[in-house]
Amino acid sequence: MLRLGPDTGPVVIAALPLFEEANRTRAFAIAVLRALAQRGIAGALPDLPGQGESLLPTHETSLALLQAGLAAAAASLPGPVFTFAIRSGALLDGAAALAGRYHLSPMTGADLRRELVRARQASARESGEPFDAAAMDTAAGPIELAGNLIAPQLLRELSDAAPVVDGARIVRLQTEAKPADAKLDGSPLWRRAEPDNDLAFAARVAVDIVSWIATCAG
Amino acid sequence: MQPDGFHEVEETVRGVLRDVLGIDAARAATFDQATPLFGALPELDSMAVAGVLTELEDRLGIVIEDDEVDGDMLDTFGALTTFAASKALT
Repeated sequence: MLRLGPDTGPVVIAALPLFEEANRTRAFAIAVLRALAQRGIAGALPDLPGQGESLLPTHETSLALLQAGLAAAAASLPGPVFTFAIRSGALLDGAAALAGRYHLSPMTGADLRRELVRARQASARESGEPFDAAAMDTAAGPIELAGNLIAPQLLRELSDAAPVVDGARIVRLQTEAKPADAKLDGSPLWRRAEPDNDLAFAARVAVDIVSWIATCAG
Repeated sequence: MQPDGFHEVEETVRGVLRDVLGIDAARAATFDQATPLFGALPELDSMAVAGVLTELEDRLGIVIEDDEVDGDMLDTFGALTTFAASKALT
């Protein structure tokens, strides 16, 4: 687990989105944690089961395993622990004991399934091989969606997965139509085919997290 | 006649192409109704199309059904804007 900042006080643990968006937001998440460390707040970035350097093959992970992994990582940290979850990362902190949840542009599991299917159908149109979205839930083995091998169990779990809103601060981009506790200027890095970073956006998020943690403590 | 709000939708579409495809602001600013998109912008492959449509949904608060997606709406900047406006302004 990547650790930044002081050894004491509150710790912010980052939860990256599932699948391809994890690659697109990793540098941004580390930029936020670094900006937090500069402001005296510790940060951590775990590799959850099936993600990053984890030894578990991606197609063997499940929502329950990912949630348990985040809960175990959070429990191993000293001090009050807050999550900083990006997009579908907000689906992963439900099992963890936390002082608070900071959800950046959170989405439901149903939204994520829809995006995966849309990307898969786009590539099916290009290759000329038809793709039947209904077969997703009855498949016996892992299914390839948008370049990821995904277990049918994880896809089924996503159908009715939603972020926990208890103790959550919901922050979105200024450009998003959905309601939020606050909206910040920034770019949707999770959409970029070529991973990119936005240090000014990362700094705005870090400032917002610092002032939010201060209100949680008070 | 363009409906009220058409210009806002046009700027939203421009912003989505800029942010999703990583096109610089100066180049995106030159896009007009006739600018060809799918097949003409190397950044706009089929996977990127999925990202563009989903980001348009997020920004305009609309839902695009998969059977509404066809080649024509992605032909030009004008066609995509007209499609987005038909969803967002009615």
